[in-house]
Order: sequence, then structure tokens, then C-alpha cells
Amino acid sequence: MMGKLNAYVDRMSQPCRAILIFCRLNGIDFEEIKVDIAKSHHLSPEFTEVNPLQKVPAILHGNLNLFESHAILAYLSSAFPGIADHWYPTDVIRRAKINSILDWHHSNLRYGAEIYVTNTVLGPAIGRPRNPKAAAEAEKVLLSSLSKLENIWLNGDGRFLLGSFQPSIADLSLVCELTQLEVLDEMDRGRILSPYKKVLGWIEDTRTATNPYFEEMHNILYRAKKKFQQQRSRIAESGTETTNNRGRHSKM
Amino acid sequence: MIGKLKVYADRMSQPCRAVLIFCRLNGIDFEEIKVDISKRHHLSLEFTEVNPLQKVPAILHGNLNLFESHAILVYLSSAFPGIADHWYPTDVFKRAKVNSVLDWHHSNLRYGEVNYVSNTVLGPALGRPRNPKAAAEAETVLLSSLSKLENIWLNGDGRFLLGSFQPSIADLSLVCELTQLEVLDETDRSRILSPYKKVLGWIEDTRTATNPHFEEMHNILYRAKKKFQQQRSRIAESGTETSNKMGRHSKM
Repeated sequence: MMGKLNAYVDRMSQPCRAILIFCRLNGIDFEEIKVDIAKSHHLSPEFTEVNPLQKVPAILHGNLNLFESHAILAYLSSAFPGIADHWYPTDVIRRAKINSILDWHHSNLRYGAEIYVTNTVLGPAIGRPRNPKAAAEAEKVLLSSLSKLENIWLNGDGRFLLGSFQPSIADLSLVCELTQLEVLDEMDRGRILSPYKKVLGWIEDTRTATNPYFEEMHNILYRAKKKFQQQRSRIAESGTETTNNRGRHSKM
Repeated sequence: MIGKLKVYADRMSQPCRAVLIFCRLNGIDFEEIKVDISKRHHLSLEFTEVNPLQKVPAILHGNLNLFESHAILVYLSSAFPGIADHWYPTDVFKRAKVNSVLDWHHSNLRYGEVNYVSNTVLGPALGRPRNPKAAAEAETVLLSSLSKLENIWLNGDGRFLLGSFQPSIADLSLVCELTQLEVLDETDRSRILSPYKKVLGWIEDTRTATNPHFEEMHNILYRAKKKFQQQRSRIAESGTETSNKMGRHSKM
């Protein structure tokens, strides 16, 4: 009998949220162990034994230690009984299509969204200088990725990726990436997302399909969003930039 | 009965070579259709119907069109009979580990390698300006990735990734990425690779395990390497930069 599943996570991390939501939704028995990235816990010798690459999410399950969220989601889908087929279909062709979008994600949506948010909000929140050039380049990749989601990946009869009628681990992974945009200035976020109607609908549908766990795992992000909003209001009123130690670093 | 497999590829592309070598090695019956990136064939209407994302490699197999090389390699491992288990193990734990290297690859080795080679050799060969800053940043990622291969991924009793005694699709994918460094100036290439003894041994072992198909699929890259060497010699002798149309774009 395998030991209990241990999930090493920081809820400010997009791929961590996807794992946590998946586990809760599917009734997987696990222990959530917090690794606070903002406090550099991921660099501790303790955590490095779990994951020598020092990234979250990571899991321990019996003798298996595993990292990279897509590998983890695929593993959980296969290793635990009773998980509905639509999450990671056993059909070779449908699985191949889901694999292709999981692969595409790394260098496209994740790359664009992560670097954009880091260079505009989350990096400066921990004292890093703003990098408008990196932000502009990342924004291009982000917009191009949103366009591909809108026009290619969300084509089909169903409301989820690849025209499916039910969500897969790809929907969960990509939507959790997009929720990170919540920490942006509202005008920024509106400007970036509002042209993509299908994408907006899909985010809502994925949220609905995975609630209440989706909301629960995003609470920390929403609190961070509020703090950033308050900080931006204060700056706007006072007309000066204040130092801020309350931001959290979510780059994993 | 499913139609014959069609593989849309440019052999200057690292992931294309991995797919081609895999097919040949495993006796998969397929038709190779050349998509010449340097002549922008990937942007043709014809190819866009095969892959709306306009990237190689892509495959057509019956009603399935599929892109992203890792998804393709996984599909081929599962869809064709008689493929040895070590390429993509059916054991859930071993498979999860192979998946984690495949995932890690995108944002690490591939990102570092593609951007370094683009910004030093292949981009300028197509008339793009050199970008020393981007090259320096990419080199940092490339070296960090090589270090992780040397110290983490190649740990274990066997000579392949994850300590395995036989290669998997991850070995094939990552080694085909590293062979792209052949187009660099020899001093550069050596400076980057020579500290990593395990990596160098592993490249040779993967080559040996997949020859003669490995060499065959790399011929075009070796010819490009020669042309770049000759060009560099001419520049060194004449002391001036000449325009060059012989380079090929391998960024996919």
C-alpha cells in the first residue's frame, strides 16, 4: 500500500493551484505542505530533497517524487481509481490532442502570462526593477497565445479546449495560468483579456465545473489582488511610489 | 484501416529530427514531407491546413492531425505495435518520470539552446541583427540546463536520462536539441559543452543507440555546419563580414 500523497505547493503559484483543485475535486486523499516561495522555502535543504530542481509543485507518493505540474496531473489521473476519463482520456487519439496543448502551453501562454505579470506587478512587489521592454515582449507572446486559444484551441462544439464538452487537465492548467492576471491593474487586465470572448467564457465554465474548490484555492490570489489594488490607489492619491513588502513572488 | 502516416518535417529542426529518427528506428511506415522553413513553406495555405499553428513537426494519421513533438512521440509509441517499452514505459511511475523531463525541457534546455543559437548564428544567417544581450541571457539558461542534466537528470546507474539503461523518447528529444549546437563556432561550442562530461557521454550513447538513423537525419545539419565554418574562415581571412544566404532557420 502506497503512502499518503504529499503535495508541496504555494497557492500563489499557478501550476500548484491546478494540482490542488484536481485533487480536491476528485476526492484524492492528500496532505498539502506549504512551500512559501516569497520566503525562499523552495531553496531549503529539506525541500531540495523532495525536488532537486527547487520548484513547486512537487509530490511525494510512496517512493515516487515527481515535479512538473503536467507530469503530476497525468500521473494522478492514472494512479488513482475512479477519476473520470474526461480529465485525461485513455483513448490514444484524444489523449494525444490534450498532450499537444499541454506541451504548447509552456512556451506560449505560460511564458507570456508569467513574464508579463512578473515584470509589471509581482517582480516590483518584491523590490525588482520594472522591465518595460521584457513586459512588452511578453505581452506580445501573451496576446498571440490568447488569439490562438480564441481561434484554434477553443474551436468546436463543446465549451472546453479542443471542442470538448467536459474539462481536461489542460483546461485546469491553462485557466489557472490566466487567473494570475487578476493581480494586474484592472485596466491592463481588461485591455488584454476583453477582446477574447470565447476565452472569457471558457474561464468561467472551467471555474463553474471545478467549484467550490476553484474559488477556495484562489483565495490567496484574490487577497493579493486586493492589496495590489489598494497600493495602486494609495500611489494614485499620493502621487508617489511607496516601497512595498507585501507582494508575493509567484514565478516557479 | 488508418491511412499511412505522414510526417511534415524540416531536418534542420531539432524536434523534427527526433520524430524522424524514432520512426525509422522503430520501422514505422511513413511518408516524409519536407516543409522548408527557410523558404517559409510552413506559412503556406496547404501546410496551415495540416497545422493551423504553422509549426513543424506535424503529422497526419488517418483523421488525426497532431503537432508538438512530444505529443507526437508519445502518440507514436502508443499507436504503433511492437515499439519497445523503454521508449515510453507503460509503468505509471517510470512514465511519470519521463513526462517530467519532457515537460522540463521546453522552458529550460530548448529555450536556452534555441535562443542562443538563433541570436549568434542562425538568426544572422537570415539577415537578422545580432543580439548579444539576448544571446547572453539565453546562454545563462543553457548552461543552467546543462548543469541540471549533468547533476540531476543523468544521475543513476544507467547511461541515459533518469538513470535508465535504455533510451526513452526524452533522450531522443533532448539530444536532438543539443546537436543544434554543431552550427556554433567550434570554440564557442566547446566552451559551452566541455565541462559537462556526463552530458557528452550521454549524447554519444544516444547517437550509438539510434544509428545509422541518427547520422542520416543529421546530414543536413552537418552540411550547414560546414558552410558556417567556411563562412567564418572567409570572414577571418578577409577581415570583413559578407552577406550570407546559406543559413537555415531552425527555430520552430
